[in-house]
Amino acid sequence: MIAIPLLIGIVFALTFIGNQSSASRIEELSKDLKNVAIVDNSGLINKDVVTANKLSISPADQTETLREQVQNGKKDSLIVFPADLKTGGTYQVYLSSNDLTKTSTVSALADNILRTSLYLPLGSAEIIALAQNGASATITIYEDGKESAGINGYIAPGLFIILFYIIFAFSISYMLTSISEEKENRSMEMVLTYVKPRTLIIGKLLAVSLVSLTQVAFFTILAIVALLIMQQTGNALALPFGIDLAKIVLDPVTIFFGLAFLVVGFLMYAGFMTATAAAAPSTKEANSFSSVFFIGAFIPFYFVVMIATDPNNPITNFITYFPLTSPVVNLIRNTVDNLGLVGSIVSLAVMTGFMLLSLWIAIRAFKLGALEFNQTIKLSKLFKK
Amino acid sequence: MTKPIVSVKDFSLTIGDKEIVKELNFEILPGEVFAFLGSNGSGKTSTIRSLLGIYQPTTGTLHVNGKNLSPETASNVGYLPEERGLYTRSKVLDTMIYFGELKGMTREAARDFSTAFLERVELSDKANTKIKKLSGGQQQKIQLGVAIMGNPKLLILDEPTKGLDPVNRKLLLDIVDELQQQGTAVIYITHLMEEVERLAHRLLILKDGVARAYGTVAEVKKEFKSKSIEDIFVQIYKEKSHVLSAEVKNV
Repeated sequence: MIAIPLLIGIVFALTFIGNQSSASRIEELSKDLKNVAIVDNSGLINKDVVTANKLSISPADQTETLREQVQNGKKDSLIVFPADLKTGGTYQVYLSSNDLTKTSTVSALADNILRTSLYLPLGSAEIIALAQNGASATITIYEDGKESAGINGYIAPGLFIILFYIIFAFSISYMLTSISEEKENRSMEMVLTYVKPRTLIIGKLLAVSLVSLTQVAFFTILAIVALLIMQQTGNALALPFGIDLAKIVLDPVTIFFGLAFLVVGFLMYAGFMTATAAAAPSTKEANSFSSVFFIGAFIPFYFVVMIATDPNNPITNFITYFPLTSPVVNLIRNTVDNLGLVGSIVSLAVMTGFMLLSLWIAIRAFKLGALEFNQTIKLSKLFKK
Repeated sequence: MTKPIVSVKDFSLTIGDKEIVKELNFEILPGEVFAFLGSNGSGKTSTIRSLLGIYQPTTGTLHVNGKNLSPETASNVGYLPEERGLYTRSKVLDTMIYFGELKGMTREAARDFSTAFLERVELSDKANTKIKKLSGGQQQKIQLGVAIMGNPKLLILDEPTKGLDPVNRKLLLDIVDELQQQGTAVIYITHLMEEVERLAHRLLILKDGVARAYGTVAEVKKEFKSKSIEDIFVQIYKEKSHVLSAEVKNV
């Protein structure tokens, strides 16, 4: 149930540890590099910086000899900063072996020497750090004459978009595979002898909802634990765009609509997936039909700027109410707060209507198609008496 | 007079534009093996699904113990469908317990029954094996076990011996014999007429959704003036080709 999210957590942790370990290994190796020659034809390299790395700058006329020494394995590497470095923006690195770690180390060393040489004239270490890393802006936004939370107001409702995709990836498609597998392995008829189709679907939906709830709880706890660890270890998060975790706004209205759009969207997609699985004769065909729903769930991201900045655009309005795109579009609009209270209520009502329709279609398709092993149930048959 | 366990009266079924079953009438008594015969597409499976309440009849009634059956009240019915299968990724014992619970048994009762059945069919060492690792014949035995769980009053077996070797076929037929002797009524669907001759008390031959022969085995043989059910079956199904060839001649 939580195996996949747990696996993702482990992969993230391993990736982080792996990257940290690779970075420190390269740093270690770079300290040990002694047999590296440097030729500077650009005049941009500071001699003191090179010396600080326990290296020296070789005369320009020895370039060819040094390159041959690298080629013959007598030297580890040669870095040549050409005369046109300022305009060309490239320099050469020659290496004696095809060792990936050494390649990264020497490249990092050359880059470090060049950057430090260029920044050194700026003066103090603080100014160099500022030039290298830039500065972050503290943004203050006024709305109706009062200070608004700005981007910090988007974080809590925005989390529902992430939760929707987590549920979509891990749980909604379960409805499809579960039913189509029961059809394909022919256990369906034995089950339907003792369970009504409606009861079976509701049971599956409840089970999937509980699994989703567990996954959401797992991710939430994971995020809280990560934040607490960071706070305890003093590892402050440097978040972009002026995001400040201490200033996150928890507005009950936007949180309510975020949750409502998430739940209704989940049930609507689950209904469509159930109908697809019941109507298709095999898992393979069910999967190919279901790609429409995956496209529907991801297409709003192509319009995200328009959804956020142009709420009156006809396309924005269309995808706000179109069943397959409505969950994500409404979650985005709820996040950036361009839906308004009335708009949110209307959207929720329309989505609830589509959700009930999808569940009705699911039960109808299931009644007609659950025991149909050879052909796809036609859409027209669903609406026939 | 013994009360029938199954009573089908004036049953017709139309799905879409197709009339599957027409005006079907039959009764099955407790402890009786009822052979329900017909070629593929004759309407047997649709009749069984209607009897179980999965399909709703267009007209007529299908009663089990005097009532319409529905999934909620089907716990005293065992069904081995033609299109059968099991959850291949589940273990044998877990699967049997799951179906036992679906039939309204307690977990303990389902476990006890399953353990005893697996021992009977010499599969007790496979209790914790995944279904997909069993052979076709072994899976078939598990399916029979699922069907007879909870000592059903009515047992519906749709081609139960399909794919079984002679040893397992005999084992299955012995189990059916035992159940029948305990008073279970059995609807037996098969294309193997020697099984009908061996097991059946009464039979019905369905063709294009219409009953063409119905009665005790002796009655049907007498009516068709034949000593073999197989000959009667062939005779009934040849009727169509006679009619067709006559029509062709007329054309």
